[in-house]
Amino acid sequence: MEILNLVRLIAGTLLIGIGVVVFIIETIGVFRYKYTLDRMHFSGMGDTLGLLSLTAGAVIINGINFTGFKLVLVLVFFWFTSPVSSHLISRLVTDTDERLKDNCEEKGEQ
Amino acid sequence: MSIDRFYEIYDKFAIVILIILGVIAVACLIRAISGPKAYDRIVAVNMLGTLTMAMIIVLLVKLREGYLADICLIYALISFLAVIVLTKVYKGAYEARKKKREKEARDGNS
Repeated sequence: MEILNLVRLIAGTLLIGIGVVVFIIETIGVFRYKYTLDRMHFSGMGDTLGLLSLTAGAVIINGINFTGFKLVLVLVFFWFTSPVSSHLISRLVTDTDERLKDNCEEKGEQ
Repeated sequence: MSIDRFYEIYDKFAIVILIILGVIAVACLIRAISGPKAYDRIVAVNMLGTLTMAMIIVLLVKLREGYLADICLIYALISFLAVIVLTKVYKGAYEARKKKREKEARDGNS
């Protein structure tokens, strides 16, 4: 039982640390790029992976009980809604940006 | 390792994680204030909602309170709804502005 607690602590803190590192990389990417669609590439991917890692760490530390089940439910709900909101924002950009072509690379045309 | 020592170590770790997440949230707020266009701000607000969910999950395990999972689920719902409403409102404002500009151009020609 003693060794099981140690393994739980190490695995959980490692997963939460990975999640926070993913959030840091996401913020650096959002600050580094200038155009919105480039920024959204970082924010969408980083949100999905960071919250997965953080929730997995929290479930491992918390133990398997009803609260852990609710945390998995939160993660599943977030995985349904986050791509939808990314899609809405990208559709807004492509509909309302009048200088969209200037910011996109066009390959095949010289 | 006893369970008390386990939670003692995790509490210290959680405070460090919460401080890092707070710094990232301030950076996101700077991005939301200084974004040149409206959709840059919407991306930053979406990211801020995800960071708040991450903070609530870390705090849930630190305080050992199960009801915070419900608050996290409600926060995910509200964040998703905010993105939908903001994109709809901004698109409506853009189309009204475009229609007004076209009308002015037609009046100027005739």
